[in-house]
Amino acid sequence: MSGREAVVVTGLGVVSSLGDSAAALHAALCAGQSGLGPPPALEWTTVGCRVAGALRDFRPERYLGADANLRPLDRTGRLLAAAAGLALADSGWTAERRSGMEIGLVAGTLFGSLATVSGFDCRALTAGPSYVKPLDFANTVFNAAAGQTAIWHRLGGLNATLGGASAGLEAISFAAQQIAAGRADVVLAGGVEELCAESVLAFARAGLLCDEHPIPFAAERNGFALGEGAALLVLERASRAENRGARILGTIGGDGRRFDPSRGADEQAIVAAVADAVAEALRRSRIEPAAIDAWSASASGGRLDLAEALGVARVLGEGAVRLPVAAVKAQLGETLGAAGAFQVAALIESGRTGRLPGIPGLERPDPRLPMALAGPAARELRPRRGLATSLGLDGQVAALVVELPEPRP
Amino acid sequence: MSRRVVVTGLGAVTPLGIGREVFWSGVLAGRPATGPVQSFDASPYGVDRGAEVRGFDPAAYLRRQDPAAMGRASQMAAAAARLALADAGLEDVPQPGRAGCVMGTTTGEPLEVERFDEALVARELDQVDRRFVHRYPSPVIPANVAAELGLSGPTAMIPTACAAGNYAVAHAYDLVRQGTAEWMLAGGADAFSRITYSGFARLGAIAPDLCRPFDRNRRGMIPGEGAGLLVLEPLEAARARGARIYAEIVGYGLSCDAFHMTGAHPEGEGAARAMEQALRTSGLGPAAVSYVSAHGTGTPTNDRVEVVALVRVFAERAPAVPVSSIKSMIGHTMGAASALEAIVCCLAVGSDVVPPTANFEEADPGCNLDFVPNRAREHRVEVAMNNAYAFGGNNASVLFAKVAP
Repeated sequence: MSGREAVVVTGLGVVSSLGDSAAALHAALCAGQSGLGPPPALEWTTVGCRVAGALRDFRPERYLGADANLRPLDRTGRLLAAAAGLALADSGWTAERRSGMEIGLVAGTLFGSLATVSGFDCRALTAGPSYVKPLDFANTVFNAAAGQTAIWHRLGGLNATLGGASAGLEAISFAAQQIAAGRADVVLAGGVEELCAESVLAFARAGLLCDEHPIPFAAERNGFALGEGAALLVLERASRAENRGARILGTIGGDGRRFDPSRGADEQAIVAAVADAVAEALRRSRIEPAAIDAWSASASGGRLDLAEALGVARVLGEGAVRLPVAAVKAQLGETLGAAGAFQVAALIESGRTGRLPGIPGLERPDPRLPMALAGPAARELRPRRGLATSLGLDGQVAALVVELPEPRP
Repeated sequence: MSRRVVVTGLGAVTPLGIGREVFWSGVLAGRPATGPVQSFDASPYGVDRGAEVRGFDPAAYLRRQDPAAMGRASQMAAAAARLALADAGLEDVPQPGRAGCVMGTTTGEPLEVERFDEALVARELDQVDRRFVHRYPSPVIPANVAAELGLSGPTAMIPTACAAGNYAVAHAYDLVRQGTAEWMLAGGADAFSRITYSGFARLGAIAPDLCRPFDRNRRGMIPGEGAGLLVLEPLEAARARGARIYAEIVGYGLSCDAFHMTGAHPEGEGAARAMEQALRTSGLGPAAVSYVSAHGTGTPTNDRVEVVALVRVFAERAPAVPVSSIKSMIGHTMGAASALEAIVCCLAVGSDVVPPTANFEEADPGCNLDFVPNRAREHRVEVAMNNAYAFGGNNASVLFAKVAP
């Protein structure tokens, strides 16, 4: 963002298995609570899913209005629309204030709604193609949730969807860059992912799900738990936020993105990709590695946790040993396209409250881990420059620096 | 850092054929590549036209990867990437660490989810592909392209449906312009699928015979498939290596109707805003535009609204700007559509020929501009505007121009 005006965060909208605000989510993370539990449906266990982070009592009408016609929105659309409403309210962009403005929306998602796509096709297979529902067809596209949310909240500005398990973080970078370039004024950016029987089956077949509870960075980690939810940041130019007297929660720093052509198969290659992405994010932020004082990791309990840490440590050098680390997927599960946004939301709340969540269950870290992790409990810590990293399923790596404001007197 | 960005390589896998030359000569000939669907039984749909890519052998193009390890959209994208790179004279990939790939799509790898669904319906869950999560979701397409070429710079998937190709080109343009990437591959890909066909058939949107954009008797779109990729690099680097330059990308605009999931805003409001933002960011006025590659699906509503939007932006000059839709020939290739249309814009800028709107028989008094009916035309193209619109109300316009010295 060098030479351009800063892009700041003025609000957060979160719908998660640990609460429907960033503050509630962060408090639950710090208290060591888990949004994970037994799968909500028996058939999920039969395919090999033992624990999942479902939003068991998600009631979209609470966020979108009791009289609202929610039929056009599938679960992914409802999650994103709910988070968008919360984000707009949190940042003070009431319907009245934003009249005449074109607010944008950039959302990451891996599957969009696999339940919708698969359900649409299965109906065609079983009942015949003339029995498919046009409303469902509109939601089969990956950008459906962002389109539905734009309609719901009348967001006529820049609208984009990014695809992938690292797309929540990429969406924040993409939106910030659009604002910095003067192409957008105010943009909601983050991600959404639903939990459904189809994605559980897909990940179970891939052998990526954990046995009991996922423990990021653990020596005996054996997979992740799937989670769901939506998280959006309200991003705007610093001058606009200051002029309207908005509360500033953070400033978006530099980003870096890399691809590992081995797609994670070659440990050295994925470590190098992480290191290159992090180094680029620091360079574009114009800060030294030592300035990073907290890391919100992508680590999920899966195979790549160690490579991610080794890549970060390669850039941070000696300071890596003492680097405070948060790994929210221990408690939220792997929320795929939403994950990066949840990681950033947790960092921002850590900056605001002065507490960094621990990693519950982490008693025996991977012996090769370069960080001396503090363990399961939250600790008093007020990060000023946080790093978030997000790894996709196929070699994608994204890194982002978030600067957190001084506490207000 | 802000660098000028040019297009130096084009790769196309299309229903008209494979490779830039075959594609362009087919488009200029006004030859429809639509016909009876062959990849599945279309008899239950009441319509049977499609625009499929025939005779495509991915093994003839892929060098590092086994085509069987990826879905059809990725195969077409990786082949088009190889073609684009060769076209740019970059077969020995320079600085792969700073090069990447941005792709767009509507359906990702739909044939993969169809196999998944067949296993579900048959209740044979142990038949679900163990690699489904690595074969179906949208980001696998740029991952397969980048892995094929050994690229380790930024990759991204922007699955904004039928405007996705333009989004991908726009994002890659930013990455090169700002110096984040040394050069980029950008484009879109989609595979022909019964999911897409069922949906559009159910909407009554598929034409019974031919796709006739802007014609008074237009009856709908025709689903298609394909991949289009462009090589984007800094002007200075292209000049330094003596590369052939097709066109410079000078700006883009993105907007959202926030109105309806599958229907365009009746006043073309969002589409006009995307065009206006593209012009504003290019420092150009509407008078500078010499050709418009229309979204032009051939559905009664899309084409009418698109003309309303064009008239909003170009005002009294609208009838003087040639506007054509290659969907009349290759159908609607979904996520590949605006990427293939971007290729056409580059070639129009490079050759001063504009492609026709094929199958045009009768002007529609309610929406009448210069649609370049049926015959390609020699026409000086200083600036070409590529317009694309999508489900979700996503609108994207990209401007391609001759390189000013």
